[in-house]
Amino acid sequence: MKDRTWRASWNRVAGALAPALLLVVSSLPAKSQTTSDLLNPLFQGILAQPANFNNALQYATLAPASDIESAISTYEQLLFYNPNLASVRFELGVLYYRLGSYEMARSYFASALTMKDMTPGLRQRTEDLIAAIDKKLQPDQFSGYVQSGFRYQTNAALGPAAGTALASGKLFNNSFAARPDGNWFGAFGLNYVHDFEQQNGNTFEASAVGYDAQQFKLHQFDVGVMELRAGPRFGIVSETATGLSIKPYFIATGATLADAAYYGGLGGGLTAHIKLGDVALDPYAEVVQQSFRNLTLYPLASGMSGTLSTVGLQASGPVYASLGFQSRVTYAHADANFNPFGYNAYAGDVWLPWNFSPLGDGRTWTLTPTAGVSWWQYNAPDPTIDPFVTPNILEWRLGLGLEVPIWKLLYLGMLAQYRADVSNVSAFSMHDFSVTAGPTMRF
Amino acid sequence: MRTPRRFIVALTFVFSSALFAAASASAQQVGTATAVNPLSESTPPGGTTAPLVVGAHIVHKEKVHTTPAGTVQLLFTDKSTMSIAPNTDIVIDEYVYDPNANNGHMLVSLTKGALRFVGGQLSHQGEATITTSAANIGIRGGTVTVIQGQNGTKVINVSGIMKIVNGTGTFLLTRSDFGALIQGWNTPIQDLGRIPTAEVAFHQAHTTSTPGEDGGVPGFTGANIGHCGIGSVQGTNCPQTPWMPSDGGQLDASQILGNATNFGAGQNNPPPPPPPPPIITRGR
Repeated sequence: MKDRTWRASWNRVAGALAPALLLVVSSLPAKSQTTSDLLNPLFQGILAQPANFNNALQYATLAPASDIESAISTYEQLLFYNPNLASVRFELGVLYYRLGSYEMARSYFASALTMKDMTPGLRQRTEDLIAAIDKKLQPDQFSGYVQSGFRYQTNAALGPAAGTALASGKLFNNSFAARPDGNWFGAFGLNYVHDFEQQNGNTFEASAVGYDAQQFKLHQFDVGVMELRAGPRFGIVSETATGLSIKPYFIATGATLADAAYYGGLGGGLTAHIKLGDVALDPYAEVVQQSFRNLTLYPLASGMSGTLSTVGLQASGPVYASLGFQSRVTYAHADANFNPFGYNAYAGDVWLPWNFSPLGDGRTWTLTPTAGVSWWQYNAPDPTIDPFVTPNILEWRLGLGLEVPIWKLLYLGMLAQYRADVSNVSAFSMHDFSVTAGPTMRF
Repeated sequence: MRTPRRFIVALTFVFSSALFAAASASAQQVGTATAVNPLSESTPPGGTTAPLVVGAHIVHKEKVHTTPAGTVQLLFTDKSTMSIAPNTDIVIDEYVYDPNANNGHMLVSLTKGALRFVGGQLSHQGEATITTSAANIGIRGGTVTVIQGQNGTKVINVSGIMKIVNGTGTFLLTRSDFGALIQGWNTPIQDLGRIPTAEVAFHQAHTTSTPGEDGGVPGFTGANIGHCGIGSVQGTNCPQTPWMPSDGGQLDASQILGNATNFGAGQNNPPPPPPPPPIITRGR
């Protein structure tokens, strides 16, 4: 009992800390004062003694973290001093790539390949980036991933502990109580963009994601999901901001559970894309009509059918150097045919991808710590669980992902995640630790 | 007795004038020539034309000229740069920059040739303008290549927003790698769409040293390079597609499963199977 109280307290503290972390990370300045302190004297040194190329080189090395254009200026200065260096041309290609000037980047990469001092490792990276640019410059662009692997969960049901008592005095259905299991899963994501090659940047975009997991033992939890999204993106030409656009889209989702058709969703949404400095913001609002189908194992599922309305904000950008952030906050309101299943939910997640190259071969590994928190407030007591208490659930989740390059487009992905739900109704409290690993092919 | 006094007065005048001129010139310095391939020349206001050398101060109202073989990079105090192609004439018409307040404005006229402008603090505030005979090109937060030739002015947006104004109106060039052509002050601004890769490469190569040149600074061999490449400073900020491992279908699947367990299953033990339907014999 003491342990349970302590855990509940910790869960609440962690739940409170997660959004705070989200806010702190989101508000971190992209430009560090320390970097600025280092850069200013170096810049004054370039102005006073431009021929001191060691000073310029030091500036060029530090500047990209906070000022891409200034770094470009300095590398172009160095290129004047020696136009035969593949590495200078490569760095310029990278910096222009980051600015979104793919033609200029390609020009520098292509010229780097003709330099005599080009090394095999740098050649590989240069060719990879040229291939990526050529894809971006096509009117029809496809990208995506395919992943497969194994996942082990300490609580494959995402249910409460076995033996949890309901308000009626009966025990929670043991078939859905916490039990460990593993599964094989397959996943894919496919993105398609048609660029109309117009000044305003109009495009048509479509994406599909799919996921299917087959449990080793608990087949009532075999789950599959497929989702399609598509819509036109309209660029907005503005005198003061670049990259503004809005996009209406439709959503179609289908899911299977226990190897039977279980869920269908159809709806639409509207999203915008805004860039504030290096930070990209994507606010969105969407409405989906959800339809759940009763199954033998899930005889009450249709009660969850109804309209799900969501508003959210996704943000991404650099934090410092090779550390970036992606975050998402949402509010969702679900109407349900059976009123107790309807809810209001708030959620926030943050991902902090950190790129590094531990083997010194220029290939980038990505380590991504993640944290998230959600709060569900249901509409009314669920009579089958507790007819007197309206449930709420505080969920928090922590994860650590690692992606390791193996060969060309092949990566090994690993993810460890802990998730805990704390509720005023014991049947809705649970925790789960999962480990996922498998190869990923990106294209 | 009068000769020494006259001499002292004259000396004082000359010395004061020199001091004033030096102070004035110093106050007007707007940048530095950071790389120079001969022959490139400059003409300060009221001064004579002389070959430009690395480290030379660039002053307000200075004219810079490159010969068919010359190229120059100018670095301004707001951190913007101009890489100037051969056969180009520019004038720094106006330049005001207060580093403490971080504001000001610059106006450069391009009468002939080509240049690439890489933005600094002033362009980030939309306060940098390049003028040609055909248009005024306002630069916000960006990098641009401008070519002034016999057919008028061509503007290639490298990044940022270019506000092109001439006698016929205003055109916003907002997309990277796209361009516009302005044949004359009273000619409508023409959207060129995406500029071919070969043309971008040509202008890029035209605004730097050619093999054998050293920009006036010999001996740079590129030691310790590798911010994103393979050097002593390892990969940061390298372009790649970020991956959010916990996002995507798996997250949706977890949500569906969690809700199903909580609600869809019903939490009492499963009901007994329904009785078999009665056998109905239909009579005629």
